[in-house]
Amino acid sequence: MSALPLPPTTWTTGNTDVFKTGTWRSALPVYRNPPSPCHLACPVSGGIAAWIRQAAVRDWHGAWTTLTENNPFPAVAGRVCHRPCESACNRGGYDAPISICRLERFIGDLALAEGWRHPEVPVTRKERIAVVGGGPSGLSAAYQLRRRGYAVTIFEAQPQLGGLLRDGIPSYRLPRSVLESEIRRILESGIEARTGAALATAQELERLRAEFDAVYLAMGARRQKRLPGLDYAQPWVMDGAAYLAQANAGAPPALGRRLAVIGGGSAAMDVARSARRAGHEVRVLSLEREAQMPAQREEVIEAKEEGVAFLEGAMLCAAAADGAGGLELDCVRVLFEAGARPGEFRVTPVAGSEFVLAADAVVPAIGQDPELAPVRSLLDAEDALIRTDSRQATSLEGVFAGGDVASRARFVTQAIGMGREAAQQIDRMLQGRAAARASAEPALPLEAINTYYFPHAGRARDARLGARERLRGYAEVQLGMATEQALAEAARCFSCGNCIFCDNCLDYCPELAVRRSDGAYAVDGDYCKGCGLCAEECPTGSIAMREELR
Amino acid sequence: MGKMIDILCSGHAACPGCIDAVSARHVLAALGPDCVAVMPPSCMAVIAGPQPFSGLRIPVYQASLESAAASACGLRRALDVRGRTETQVVVLAGDGGTYDIGLQCLSSAAERNENILYVCFDNEGYMNTGAQKSSSTPRYAKTGSTPAGKPTRKKNFTEIMAAHRVPYAATATAGFLRDLVRKVEKAKSLRGTRVLTLLIPCLDGWGVPEDQGIAVARLAVQSGMFPLYEVEDGLRYTLNDPPKSRPVRDYLMSQGRYRNLGDAQLDELQREVDADWARLEQRAQASAVQ
Amino acid sequence: MSPGNDAVLLTGNHAVAWGARLARPKVVPVYPITPQTPILELLTEFQAQGELEAEIITPESEHSVMAACIAASLGGVRVFTATASQGLMLMHELLHYASGARAPIVMANVNRTIASPWGFWPDQTDSVAQRDTGWIQFYVESAQEGLDTVLQAFRIAERVRLPVMINLDAFYVSHSLEPVRVPPQALADEYLPPYAPEHYLDPARGESWGNVVTQEMYWRHRRDIGGAMDAVPEVAAEADREWQRLSGRGWDLVERYRCEGADLVVLTMGSMCGTAREAVDELRDAGHAAGLLKVRLFRPLPAAELRRALAGVRDVLVLDRNFSPGAGGVLHQELRAALYGTAAAPRVHGALAGVGGVNVPPAKIAELAGRARSSEPLPEAVWAR
Repeated sequence: MSALPLPPTTWTTGNTDVFKTGTWRSALPVYRNPPSPCHLACPVSGGIAAWIRQAAVRDWHGAWTTLTENNPFPAVAGRVCHRPCESACNRGGYDAPISICRLERFIGDLALAEGWRHPEVPVTRKERIAVVGGGPSGLSAAYQLRRRGYAVTIFEAQPQLGGLLRDGIPSYRLPRSVLESEIRRILESGIEARTGAALATAQELERLRAEFDAVYLAMGARRQKRLPGLDYAQPWVMDGAAYLAQANAGAPPALGRRLAVIGGGSAAMDVARSARRAGHEVRVLSLEREAQMPAQREEVIEAKEEGVAFLEGAMLCAAAADGAGGLELDCVRVLFEAGARPGEFRVTPVAGSEFVLAADAVVPAIGQDPELAPVRSLLDAEDALIRTDSRQATSLEGVFAGGDVASRARFVTQAIGMGREAAQQIDRMLQGRAAARASAEPALPLEAINTYYFPHAGRARDARLGARERLRGYAEVQLGMATEQALAEAARCFSCGNCIFCDNCLDYCPELAVRRSDGAYAVDGDYCKGCGLCAEECPTGSIAMREELR
Repeated sequence: MGKMIDILCSGHAACPGCIDAVSARHVLAALGPDCVAVMPPSCMAVIAGPQPFSGLRIPVYQASLESAAASACGLRRALDVRGRTETQVVVLAGDGGTYDIGLQCLSSAAERNENILYVCFDNEGYMNTGAQKSSSTPRYAKTGSTPAGKPTRKKNFTEIMAAHRVPYAATATAGFLRDLVRKVEKAKSLRGTRVLTLLIPCLDGWGVPEDQGIAVARLAVQSGMFPLYEVEDGLRYTLNDPPKSRPVRDYLMSQGRYRNLGDAQLDELQREVDADWARLEQRAQASAVQ
Repeated sequence: MSPGNDAVLLTGNHAVAWGARLARPKVVPVYPITPQTPILELLTEFQAQGELEAEIITPESEHSVMAACIAASLGGVRVFTATASQGLMLMHELLHYASGARAPIVMANVNRTIASPWGFWPDQTDSVAQRDTGWIQFYVESAQEGLDTVLQAFRIAERVRLPVMINLDAFYVSHSLEPVRVPPQALADEYLPPYAPEHYLDPARGESWGNVVTQEMYWRHRRDIGGAMDAVPEVAAEADREWQRLSGRGWDLVERYRCEGADLVVLTMGSMCGTAREAVDELRDAGHAAGLLKVRLFRPLPAAELRRALAGVRDVLVLDRNFSPGAGGVLHQELRAALYGTAAAPRVHGALAGVGGVNVPPAKIAELAGRARSSEPLPEAVWAR
């Protein structure tokens, strides 16, 4: 036997860290970064929890940088996004969702006010990319490709870039200065834009394919759907898009006093509200009941505030002059049932519910289809859309498509997201890399949040201009947040699955087994007894206990 | 708190999730290394380690159960004689060694205003011996020696100490860590007998899951069962956040020791807590007027 | 009054207080109890006058006094206290704690009856009942011996790292005025250097005391305490010799009074020795070969020395001013145990003499001695007064 010295019976000579109490453990905490529900819901996969956290600690530029990694239009999206993130927000199950969209607008506006610019990226790639269509999707794709070092050229049929953002959305919802600034900032990152350059023929597409290494088609959907049974040749019928284009250009057409607007989407709301500003008496006929309308809830509310009358669940069957200078609109009540896919629906007239509506003009705004004639011979199409796979690739090699030309989900941010996705795919294709596998990790559930750390606090109030004031012109309806409001709102964020470095795991560890260095935490398995206090006291659900079998 | 220098060591023998260990860790880190600890037998003494290893990076004297404060006085004077007048002498005691068997000598030390910091790790019973009642056990709590629930109230230790007119007596808990650390730092800045009572939910003794100790400590405060407050010079009462905001039921139902509590008993406890809270508020208001 | 070599009149209590003052303790926790209180009062008076640089602590009980003593001693400084009777009883738990902590505390105990019923009389049951606590115990006969023994006690305690209890009988010693020579401070300092322990509680050292030990460690710790106790007779003898060299006074561990050629020896402790001396003188005057053995060091019992002193003696009469119900006199038992198995051991006669402070005159001792000579010893001690 070795003659080890006997331990002294009195006075200590060392510390208990010689005992590796980690052997007691049956589970070990693991730091994780599961997706937040808002992130999964966001059409641009916007890292929302991350930029809100940066905002909460007043790192405004950092927040904007994070935002613009995914979306070059925070000031635009912060105004017009349909906010699926807010519907998904875990805080909605606690008190009220974070006002994510307005926070985004606050940061977007701050960036414009401060003149922040995208970093200048030199052209490092030899490949050149053509983007057809200078709307939100095309600009998004161009921006993302430019950031990755590609030379990008945009071909836009209209005299100005912006697409639907410019021609479809009235400036009281999206001020032109905001739009111009964000587009200009994208172009300043070194993108060539050729306006008045439409893709008119298949040959032109072939030429683009030959000249460029990849093509992204984002021409949008500009061909108006027509209401059957309505004579569009009549002077008292005007297509919604045409109405908006004139109204947005500052010259709303003269159409008599009483306008019947047909449709339940954003375009119909924009027509109706623009018409109210032009002094019309406006009635909206929608097949859908109010809750079913594709328009955003806020748009409907604001339209009502502005004096737009609604006839929900009603269908226009025929229109004719009443002989007294006005019109008689034959209508019927209908039951509306949405179909499985966007744009699909079924209507059932309610027997005996026919009624007649008096009006002076009819403005249908029931949606648009893309103009596929120039590309139809080269690309597969389906249901009046260019067919793409989930990564925006068309049937033609090297050609991608996105936005309204390829999707019925007619939301600005979805168009931006598709542009981003296409850019990533083009980049991968040109670099010969396989597509990254989409993560199947589910969103962090509310139960994983320790709500103790988030005292109940009301959502920032959505401030709007008074209705009377709105009708005087095209002043912006929705008002931005004040700085303090933005900070308070950012502080409400659960940061689901996004570590906020609060040190709770470190501070509450009874074993001193959690260490922090280089912006990360580590658990010392020598001492962790697996109690789970760190995971329990993690506000954001960023720690999970993983069972260990010994 | 992330930048603290720990005095407590890993490898101690506390149960997984022990709030005693969490609390001691922060008390000691806030006091810093110029400190000597006195411990009577308690869960803390287990954490202190087996010979020849210490769970603390400061000297510890393990005193007898009833003599912690008296021992601290002797040590204090010895340090003073050796010129170490700035060294903190801190007692880390349980509620048995404080409310019960050690109260006599603590009262005496407080009367002499001995320059010691006395920290009671109050887990409301003799948990180190397997959960028997102490005079800190609240009414109706089941323990090994009160299997039908304790019929009488918890002793109001902080008021007893305040009645000695000690410079500082306060309650705190690791559930409100910043408040706890602030109070330790405040106590450290004062001289004389300073007394902190820390509520320590005992996972095993109270019937609480391993990861719920902090949550239960918070409920104790939020329900008003364990109000956070400070008494300066025995007279000036300050109520600390958070105020009473939840029914005692929320707190009691989080623990096995109150299982099978009847509605009448629940109501009675709620009335007691309400009355105690009102009395505390009165004192705090009266102090504010002074 | 100032220290010097001139004798002054002091009570036993005050002589002990002087001894403590000369030892320069740094922490003195004390609690009043009759008949010890004058020790407390004189020490606090010294301190108030600036003549004793010590922290006086006045806790609520003797229990806390001893608790403070132990912690202060582990804090690295010299500690003194004093108590009596019930106070010592209350300390009992911590007496064990002190020796276990190897704390070289010195404590004076004024022997007094223990309740109930109440009494204030000289009786050594209080301290002999602490014989298993790991304290070294001295019993003194006079005020001078009390003073000198306090100084010797610190020297011994700090060498062997065990606490020392100095016992003086209530009133007979504690309150009797006697001429006492108070040595100059310089002499005390020469005899007793400042306390400088190897280990103590201090943040700069970081070592802790009292953590839980294994069976094996506990076994070794107790064995080590035994080893320290075993060294005491030699260390104490050295301390006494050195004190004699410096002060001219030595007291021995076991004092032999007129034992030359004695066939009967009276053996006792404390104030009873004074009475026994007179009895021995009377017996010698009457032509009997009688002597006195004064047991000054009771713990550890200097068995070897006792055996040597009693070699060739036919009868030993043990006078116990204490009573252990069911066993008799403690010194009586201890002596029989010490002599058991030795060749030609003397006959040991026991007398419970003076229990409760009753007066035992010299004539009574002479009578007991006569009876011891003429009869076989009884297994139990006899009650005497």
